[in-house]
Formats: sequence, C-alpha cells, structure tokens
Amino acid sequence: MNKRQARLFAIGSTVVAAVAFLALTIDSHRQFPALTNAQNITPAVTHGKNVWHKNNCINCHTLFGEGAYYAPDLTKIAQQRGAPYLQAYLRDPSKFYDEQRHRRLMPKQDMTDAEIADLVAFLDWVSKVDNQGWPPRPILVTGAGVAITGTRSADQAAAVSRSAPPPGPESLPSDKDPMALGEIVFRTVSPACTACHSLVPGANMAGPSLAGVATRAQQIVSSPEYKGKAKDVEGYLSESITSPSAHLVPGAMYSANGVSFMPATFGKDLTPDQVAHLSAYLASFK
Amino acid sequence: MRYRSQSVAYGYFAVAMVLFGLQLVFGLLSAAKYLGPDSLLYILPFDVTKVVHTNLLIVWVLTGFMGATYWMVPDESRTELHSVKIAYIQLILWTLMGVSAVVGYLFRYGTGNKLLEQPLPHKIVIVICMLLFLYNVGMTIWKSRRFTTTEGVLVLGLGLAALLYLPALLEYENYTVSIFYRWWTIHLWVEGVWEMIQGGFLAYLLIRLSGADREVMEKWLYVIVGLVLIAGILGTAHHYYWVGVPAYWLPIGGIFSALEPLALIGMAIYAYSAMRRSGLAHPNTLALHWTIGSTVFTLFGAGLLGLAHTFPDVNKWTHGTLITAMHGHAAFYGAYAMIVLAMITFALPTMTPGRSERGSSIGYWAFWMQLGGMFGMTLSFATAGIAQVYLERILGMGYLDVQLKIQVHFLMLLATASLFSVGVGLFIFDFFRYAPRFDVGNEKQPTLRPDTVRPAPIS
Repeated sequence: MNKRQARLFAIGSTVVAAVAFLALTIDSHRQFPALTNAQNITPAVTHGKNVWHKNNCINCHTLFGEGAYYAPDLTKIAQQRGAPYLQAYLRDPSKFYDEQRHRRLMPKQDMTDAEIADLVAFLDWVSKVDNQGWPPRPILVTGAGVAITGTRSADQAAAVSRSAPPPGPESLPSDKDPMALGEIVFRTVSPACTACHSLVPGANMAGPSLAGVATRAQQIVSSPEYKGKAKDVEGYLSESITSPSAHLVPGAMYSANGVSFMPATFGKDLTPDQVAHLSAYLASFK
Repeated sequence: MRYRSQSVAYGYFAVAMVLFGLQLVFGLLSAAKYLGPDSLLYILPFDVTKVVHTNLLIVWVLTGFMGATYWMVPDESRTELHSVKIAYIQLILWTLMGVSAVVGYLFRYGTGNKLLEQPLPHKIVIVICMLLFLYNVGMTIWKSRRFTTTEGVLVLGLGLAALLYLPALLEYENYTVSIFYRWWTIHLWVEGVWEMIQGGFLAYLLIRLSGADREVMEKWLYVIVGLVLIAGILGTAHHYYWVGVPAYWLPIGGIFSALEPLALIGMAIYAYSAMRRSGLAHPNTLALHWTIGSTVFTLFGAGLLGLAHTFPDVNKWTHGTLITAMHGHAAFYGAYAMIVLAMITFALPTMTPGRSERGSSIGYWAFWMQLGGMFGMTLSFATAGIAQVYLERILGMGYLDVQLKIQVHFLMLLATASLFSVGVGLFIFDFFRYAPRFDVGNEKQPTLRPDTVRPAPIS
C-alpha cells in the first residue's frame, strides 16, 4: 500500500461510515415520536425539562444512565415513587434521608411548587420512554429489592434480621416525612412487603404489584362490591395491611376460602403510626 | 524555535497549565464528597465541583491543542504565523470565556446539559475563537504554499471539531433527541476528530523525535485516521443504547465499538515501531516518554477499558455506574492530556533556555507520578464500579447503601488522586521554573534533522 492508497482508504472509510450514520439518524428521527411518546411532551413536561437543566441535576444524578454517578439514577423513579412523594421530597430532601446515615444528602433546591410539579411531570415522561427495557432490574435508591424476593438464603435472612430487629422496622428520626418513614417500613418490616409486592406495573409476585395501588383503592372503596369499613384510600390501605382478608383481590394465587395469603401479623407488629406511614407511602402510587 | 511567531504557543501552554492545576483542585473536592458528609453542601455542592472539574478539562486541553498547533504549523509549513496579534486576541478572548464560565458555574449559571454546560454567550465566544484560530492557521498554511499531511490531518481535525460543536448551540424539545445530538459533539470529538488531532501531533512528534521517514509515517497516519473514523463514527451507537432510540443501534454499537481498539493498537504500534526502527534523532527523551506514553495509555484507557463495557449485554448492567468514570478518566488522560503534555515537553526547552534538552529529573518524577496516580485512580474507579454493578444492579441493593459499602475504594481514589496531583504539581512547577526567552534559531537544528543524523537503534 502506498500513501495514495492509504489516503483513499481514510477518505473512503470515513465517507462510508458517515453516510451510514446519517441514514440511521434519519431513520431514528422517523421513530423518535413513537419511542418517546412525543405526543405526551406537554408544556409542563418541557418546563420540567428546563427545571431539570436549570438546577444542574445531571451533574449528580443520571437519567437514562447518563450524567454523574454521585446520586441515584432517575430514569424510572416516577414508577417507583408516586408524584405526591416526589413533590414532598423535592420540597425538602432532608425530610426523607439522613446525611449522617448515608453520608450524602441532596441539598434543598430553590424551586417553586409549580417547578416541582413540572419536574415530576418530566420525570414521569422519561420513565415511559421506550428505552430497550433498561435498566434490566430496578435500580433502587435505598434498601434491598430483588435479593429479598424469596431467593435469599437463611444466612442473609439472619443478617437482615440482625440489622433490622424484628418485628419493628428500622427507624429514622421522626422529623421525616410520613411517606419517607412509610418507605422504610415497606422495605424493612419483617416479613418485608417487598418480599411479595413489587412496584413495577404488571410484575405480580406472591402478591399483586402495588404500582397504581392508590387509584385501584379509590375504585374499590367507591364500588358496591366493597364490604370493608374503609371510607378513603388511606383507610383502605391501612385496613389491607392490618386485616388482609377484609377485602380480597381476585385471583386464586392471592387467597383461598375467603382468607388472604398475606400474613395477618402486621396489625399487632406495627404501631398505628407505622401503619399510617405505610399507607401514606402506598397512597402516593396513583 | 525556528520561527519567532511560534512563541505564542508559550502563552497558550501557560494558561493550559494553570487551568490544569485548577481542574485538579475541583477533582479532589469532588472525590472528597464521595466520602461525605459534605460540609460545603450549601456552598459548593457536588454538582458545582463536578461541572467545574469537567469543563476545566475541556478548556485546558483545547487551550493546549491551540498552543501546540501554533507551535507545529510554522514548523511544518516553514513559515511565520499569519498573525501573532490574532493569536493573542484569541488567547485573551478564550481565557476570559473559560474563566467567566467557571465563575458562572459557581453560581449555577449554566445550561445543565452534561459537558455542554457553557451558557449560550460563552458558546458563541467559543465559536468566534475557533473561527479566529482556524482562519489564522489556514492563512499561515495558504501563504506558505507548503501543506504536509501531518498538519493536514491536524487542521482537518480541528476544523471538524469546530463544526461538530454547532449542534450544541441548538435547543431540542425532546430530551431523547437532545441526548442524540449531544453525542454528535462529545463522542465525535473524543472518539473521532480529536483522535485526528492526537494523530497529527503524534506524527509530528515521532518524525521529529525519531529518525522515521516522513512518507512512511504519513502513510500510516492515514491508515490510523481511517480506522479511527470508521469505528468512531458508527461507534457513537454505544451511547445510544438506552436513551430511547431504535433497537438496531445495539448491534451496530457492539460491533463498531469492538473495532475502536484496533485503531488504538495501530497507534501504539505506530509509535513504538517508529522508535524501534529509526532510533532516536533528538535528545528530548522526556518528550519521547510522553509521546509513547500517550499511545500506550490511550490503548489502555480508551481501547481496553472502553471495550470492557461497550458491548450491549455488558453495558446494560454497567451503564451509568463508576465503570464509566473508570474509562473516562484513563481515556481522556491518556489520549488528550498526555499528548498535550508531550507537545509542551517537546517545545519547552527551546522557549525557556537553561532547561536541559533531555528533560529534568523533576520532569521524570512528574511523568511517573502522574502515570502511577492515574493508574491507581483508574483501579479505584474500576473496583468501586465492579462492586457497584454487582451489588446495586445485579443483587438489587439500594444505591445509597451500596455507596456506603464501597467507601474503601473512595479512600483509595483520594490517595491515588493525591499522588497524581503531586505529579501534576511538579510538571507545572517545572514548566514555570525557567523564564521564557524567545530567541530564534537557538535550536541546534541541522544536527538534529532526521535526514542528517541516524543514530543506532535504541534496542
């Protein structure tokens, strides 16, 4: 090969690669509207994106796995936390996490309620983008997720119960938001709620998925089929926690002979405050 | 120094040195925050230290590129620069832009778009500076009527880098689309046209330092550029996997990213064999260390550690973890920091008389401490990242709990980063130790010309 041929190779391969790349770019543009649900990019979502940029969120967090690695990925956060939870969190993160415990804390941002609401709308839009199913397993902020779903060994179970003495769940200082406290209960009570319930839509384990549970609870308490005592969503959730058989979710894998398979021990193991926190947390999944 | 106007390079190098030092201050601050708790949470939170850290990197490396180009183009085209005045105006404008951007970041004045945080007025100044620069370099070459392949590759790389910055000036309604075009700038810079710039400097240095034949060196430079771009352009796909694009980007990214190390292997062989075959034709062995070191560290950081996580089936677990920080630090340092340091080390003895042409022992300490430090930092990020992927992504532990479990790696990061910083501190000290004096022709040029001297091969 002489210099001229080498130059031809350089120019030729560059042109071929560039043309292929541009063709794929054009085709991607054809598919972007469907993949990203572009029709759902409302003015609120766009404003929320600007709030995301204005507050430099990307230089601690990742979104679609891109950004900095100092804070959790937020791609699917709107599916793991309800909007009321996220809004309360963004108003004051220190009500949810303890810097002494995790050695890291998100500084409180200077945002109006409208900015917060739109930021949450933006994160909700992000969580619904078709991104090839990433992440393959939910990325949690705290606690343990998949390892506790029945695959854990006796040793691990013992280790977990040592770190969180049963039956009382781990505690945070009581100045935290009820939803934050409820989330701790959700993950650390024994037996853990996460052992049977996922927060991913449609991912039913031993118990039904709790994604959107607040909306379903609303429908249940207002339907004539419902025979329990609760009048509202939080009441229904509390009742389901303390007396699981008061209302049965249809499905042979969840109950038999009018008795729910869910342990009926939470009524006496949890304090009324803890039940209230847990209900507040679950009620954020609209 | 053969041409008086080459002295403008000194100003660029000096600015680059100061910004490099400042970059490390913010890097060390960011690393300390990984250990936490953060006593500066409301004064200088992580997002601010991190954005300053990465932006200073981009600014100082580009400053170095510009200075090195102003040094190299007169040598290659055998002429004075078109305009020294434009070069200095550009330097002042550029430095003001860089410094005011950093000050703005301290007050959260930025676009919040990763690596493209420069506010619009700053972006416009960047474009103006690039135009001044390309005009000045272009006119120099035009007037000289001598245009070598080496400087052609360099100038084309710089021109394309300016062109690829333009998508960053636009706003996109759809976040996914905005990510898509963000990578046109960032990826096609660092894994495309910036490698042309690196290749140009590399060929220049090898031709000067070794007795290698220009025709042969330039032929292989073309081959390397071809390999870089065929893999680099379509390799952009590895940034697209999980951001909301069609599925065909996954196999494309997997295949072409796997080709990327080929070009880098080629580059390392290129540098090494030039020295093996043609021997040393220049006394500056320290510059030689930086030159060969750059190709080897690029192969390690960009090639090997990039390949470690670009395959889609691997990337789906490692994406967005400290594994990326591992690759990013080693790749950027090896490819771009080291090639700029090589150019500086090569040019410095003739601009600052009194300095040994072989390089001082402080210079060698700086080299080895930086290399050891960066290698250690890479290992710290790697071990932290592997633990993070396993605990957080595979076992499903919470992010914050995992970060507590990998604190020991952050301690290791701080320790090795301190070692690296001492190495950089020594380099900066060595740079400013001798006052510049711009005498034309103080280089004993004839005895160093490759075609007149052909010492025995070093092996």
